[in-house]
Amino acid sequence: MDDVEKAILISFEESAAIDSALKSQALSFCQQIKETPTVCRICIEKLCFCNLVQVQFWCLQTLHEVIRVKYAMLSLEEKDFIRKSVFSMCCFEVIDDKNNNAVRILEGAPAFIKNKLAQVFVTLVYFDYPLIWSSVFVDFLPHLRKGAVVIDMFCRILNALDDELISLDYPRTPEEMGVAGRVKDAIRQQCIAQIVNVWYEIVSMYRSSDLDLCSSVLESMRRYISWIDIGLIVNDAFIPLLFQLILVSGGSEQLQGAAAGCVLAVVSKRMDHQSKLAILQNLQINRIFGLVTGDIDSELVSKVAALITGYAVEVLECYKRVNTEDAKGVSLELLNEVLPSVFYVMQNCEVDTTFSIVQFLSCYVATMKSLSPLREKQLHHVGKMLEVICAQIRYDPIYRDNLDMLDKIGREEEEKMVEFRKDLFVLLRSVARVAPDVTQMFIRNSLVSCISSVSERNVEEVEASLSLLYALGESLSDEAIKTGSGLLSELVPTLISTRFQCHFNRLVALVYLETITRYIKFVQEHTEYVPMVLTAFLDERGIHHPNFHVRRRASYLFMRVVKLLKAKLVPFIESILQSLQDTVTRFTSLNHTSNDFSGSEDGSHIFEAIGLLIGMEDVPSEKQSDYLSSLLTPLCHQVETLLINANALSPEESPVKIANIQQVIMAINALSKGFSERLVTASRPAIGVMFKKTLDVLLQILVVFPKIEPLRNKVTSFIHRMVDTLGASVFPFLPKALGQLLAESEPKEMVGFLVLLNQLICKFSTSVHDIVEEVFPAIAGRIFSLIPTEPFPLGHGTNSEEIRELQELQKTSYTFLHVITTHDLSSVFLSPRSRDYLDKMMQLLLQSACHHEDILVRKACVQIFIRLIKDWCTRPDVEAKVPGFRSFIIDGFAKNCCFYSALDKSFEFHDANTLILFGEIVLAQKVMYEKFGDGFLIHFVTNCFTTAHCPQDVAAQYCQKLQGNDMKALRSFYQSVIENLRLRQQQNGNLVFR
Amino acid sequence: MALPNQQTVDYPSFKLVIVGDGGTGKTTFVKRHLTGEFEKKYEPTIGVEVHPLDFFTNCGKIRFYCWDTAGQEKFGGLRDGYYIHGQCAIIMFDVTARLTYKNVPTWHRDLCRVCENIPIVLCGNKVDVKNRQVKAKQVTFHRKKNLQYYEISAKSNYNFEKPFLYLARKLAGDPNLHFVETPALAPPEVPIDLAAQAQHEAELAAAASQPLPDDDDDAFEQNTCNPMKMGSFLRNRRVLKPVHPGGFAEIRKKSISAAEVMKKNPRHFITRPDFHG
Repeated sequence: MDDVEKAILISFEESAAIDSALKSQALSFCQQIKETPTVCRICIEKLCFCNLVQVQFWCLQTLHEVIRVKYAMLSLEEKDFIRKSVFSMCCFEVIDDKNNNAVRILEGAPAFIKNKLAQVFVTLVYFDYPLIWSSVFVDFLPHLRKGAVVIDMFCRILNALDDELISLDYPRTPEEMGVAGRVKDAIRQQCIAQIVNVWYEIVSMYRSSDLDLCSSVLESMRRYISWIDIGLIVNDAFIPLLFQLILVSGGSEQLQGAAAGCVLAVVSKRMDHQSKLAILQNLQINRIFGLVTGDIDSELVSKVAALITGYAVEVLECYKRVNTEDAKGVSLELLNEVLPSVFYVMQNCEVDTTFSIVQFLSCYVATMKSLSPLREKQLHHVGKMLEVICAQIRYDPIYRDNLDMLDKIGREEEEKMVEFRKDLFVLLRSVARVAPDVTQMFIRNSLVSCISSVSERNVEEVEASLSLLYALGESLSDEAIKTGSGLLSELVPTLISTRFQCHFNRLVALVYLETITRYIKFVQEHTEYVPMVLTAFLDERGIHHPNFHVRRRASYLFMRVVKLLKAKLVPFIESILQSLQDTVTRFTSLNHTSNDFSGSEDGSHIFEAIGLLIGMEDVPSEKQSDYLSSLLTPLCHQVETLLINANALSPEESPVKIANIQQVIMAINALSKGFSERLVTASRPAIGVMFKKTLDVLLQILVVFPKIEPLRNKVTSFIHRMVDTLGASVFPFLPKALGQLLAESEPKEMVGFLVLLNQLICKFSTSVHDIVEEVFPAIAGRIFSLIPTEPFPLGHGTNSEEIRELQELQKTSYTFLHVITTHDLSSVFLSPRSRDYLDKMMQLLLQSACHHEDILVRKACVQIFIRLIKDWCTRPDVEAKVPGFRSFIIDGFAKNCCFYSALDKSFEFHDANTLILFGEIVLAQKVMYEKFGDGFLIHFVTNCFTTAHCPQDVAAQYCQKLQGNDMKALRSFYQSVIENLRLRQQQNGNLVFR
Repeated sequence: MALPNQQTVDYPSFKLVIVGDGGTGKTTFVKRHLTGEFEKKYEPTIGVEVHPLDFFTNCGKIRFYCWDTAGQEKFGGLRDGYYIHGQCAIIMFDVTARLTYKNVPTWHRDLCRVCENIPIVLCGNKVDVKNRQVKAKQVTFHRKKNLQYYEISAKSNYNFEKPFLYLARKLAGDPNLHFVETPALAPPEVPIDLAAQAQHEAELAAAASQPLPDDDDDAFEQNTCNPMKMGSFLRNRRVLKPVHPGGFAEIRKKSISAAEVMKKNPRHFITRPDFHG
């Protein structure tokens, strides 16, 4: 063993036993070898004499690298030598006869060495075939006579050629695509017929002696069928051979599968549909239908299943594409023939195959739309589809307990099923559209049989049946549900009045409630069912179900039902409140554990439902006050007690207390949603007083717990609500609220704060002037200290949470500035305390208007400028109001944003958002002209048009258009100016300088 | 040869190769497993880290030697030399970076060249991030190549053990094998809102099956300037989707005015001047 070999062995060693100094020494030695000019010769020599796999692998890897990177720099002899040597290795030849120690690399080599060798071979093909090394394939073929070892290597080479160069599954450069085209053309022209012949001979010869070899040959042949002359495969020799191989009984499943793969490739080949149909017809595919009935887990069954599905897909495609009645008839017949097998496969085979089948069936159903009303045969297929869907969506009873308790396994099963059902329900909905009667009848029968069953063990059947009904609802129009078209007027009442034996089961209870909610519009029109619906939600099928998850979901769904039906529920309010008493108490009870609520289902929905009910104006005033105070008083009291004792809280106690306060705020928040601004401020001011008191109490939370983020978020939400509900009467509370919220200045908190201000400004515009003016300087200071002035970096490692938060803050800040200007509040920027930030702000806005990566942000900035120009540049006293603004606009904004930013390549005229931005830019020019007159015009034309070498007449035309009244004409003219300049810029390289 | 014969153990152990573009989170992923952390062997010169990770199954303890090929340049180190004798593999991509998914086929090919017929899991990492670029529906590569796909979030431990469980089942040839003990994991750095995640997916599916709205073109008319530009216009045209706290999204057939959104949910108010109330 020489030093090179030793070094390679050491560098491959990953055990702790190797000294790291020795290892890095070995690695740098290997690296040194790689850099010697004779590295190819060294590698080839090692490959001829050394049988250590590490050394062989390293040499092949190095060879590949050298050829890839610097093949062009090698001498002609060197290249010739490499080609000859690699070719000989692949053909199982001894390169150097003189030396007795010579090894043949293919002898006993592991697969990865052979594959690596094939990769090297293909890299040579990449550079030299067909121009330099035109006979490579033709020369290879005679060597196949040497037997299995060389044939196997040949297959690996063909596979590598496909993987490395031809297959469209990998991202390729245009250059690689060009080479692939060249190689394919040459092979097609020169030797593909010979290669196919060889494939045929090998398979015929070895089909009983070496099944693995035959499979390998067919596997690589499969890859080539998509781009070679189909006549080479579809003929009297090959097709019968392939079917013989598939159908041979007791043969090798691998070989059968490989042959099926080839037939699938034939079937899937892109070609003219008339010819395709002829091929499909002649295959007599029904010969293989029997094969899927065997052991359903076998590799073969899934291969044959894929073939059957692929065949069906292609026949359907032909049906859609062919034009003659004759051909349509043939394809429909073939479809009818293959569909029963497709159903069989779907019902009995693995998930993966099912997936593509569902896609196919959806496509089939969509196609059948054109045939409606469906013929008997199609109706039969559709009925069969419903049966299959119904069977497929059923849970396995062995998971019943897991699903009911929702443990880890149960969760996984449910997740899997939800995923699996998605496509099946899409199919169901298409079926329901094409054959509504059949579908409704099927679902009705299935439901009726569930109801009549006395067993409580049919959980999965009931669940599936209800799920079908739910999914059906998704395909129906509101109108159909309202009127109860078809069988619905029977189905919905049956549903509402039913109590299943297995109603205690979590899944059954959930889908039951979901389905009622889905069809609630029916009840809206048929109010006689209202009491039944209320019972279903309020008894132990819903909000009083033994299972916690069901109760939570029931609260949410009940809220939705109330929202829709509330006008019809006035007579029932008293009784509803009574039956919710315990739920309400439980929600805010002090011993609540915080992990019970998470995500969107926090359980506060029951309060929202109550709010919706008692907030109606139909409720008498006195009653309303009573209801509300009986809810608010204890809740507020809870908060007050906690706040008073806050300092005495032990570290163990405080998370529980905080969670408890959160619950209370959410409850109050949800409750308030039912009360409109009109009611609270105008017709029933007493209600308004109650909410104000509550707000006062809740704001105290910010004082006591200023740093607790969840509480802060919850209180902020509540302020949002109160702004909406209390209207202008919320103003007295704002200084305290905003002051507390502004105390925190992390990016995330700032975003929340700005969103609140945006709401205030949008709702009250100039009425909040003083408030905004008061807080603006502090906000501007924060924003400028947080947001970087440079654009955010791109690329790896910049995708971090911190950067995302800053980006979010930046975006919200632009919105904030935009909202201020568009609501007549631009004077805020000019207040004495804000003045300091004006310059910085203008620079940031200009920078963003020109270069921000988000076009919508650019647009917002331009809109801000337009507004500011209008506000600040009233003729006589521009300079007095904002000194320097006029020249900043004309020199900075007009030139950089209105002209040069549109010349940049980031400005894409085929993008809709950019077009809107462009419209704003043109509008800005118009506004500047209106405000500054010729002062702007002359400056703009000289500074931009003339500098960019625009012809005089173009500039003149621009002036004319700008002075005119036709915005559209101005816009399209200016676009043509910009586009022409950009074209010139492209041609001349650097015409426009910045 | 290349198997680490460091601390040989008397229970089954497998070489697991982890590949994928740089920055997809391979290292973060393996380091979540705390037992592996103690015995990790760091080889900065070659840029491969081998972490022995132990799992407890109902059939006993097993060990994965995770070959984390992180940090290496495409042409540095031993590259595919590290794959030799790999018995199973994980291909990782980053759902927030489209290019990393585009490169998955290439990683798969390079892996299969050296390791024929080994079980492979495809992992889409960073699903905790809100603005993902590769949606679950767009991940189809695993179907073509018969791989298992999991969405994971190394940062939040979401689905951490799923890939290992799948590989263990395949290697043991026992589809019912399960882990009897949760491995000790580093605490999650970001919480993942599972309900929101599930809801999000469900809404996506619902959206996919909805017919395209065709009666709300008026709202957009002002944006169309030229029928030739309809292509990009249609791409940019989105029905506004109000998002509620917790990620629950409403899918609406018609566009919703800003004023309406504001009324429904002031907390999530955004101004879109191009939507007129």
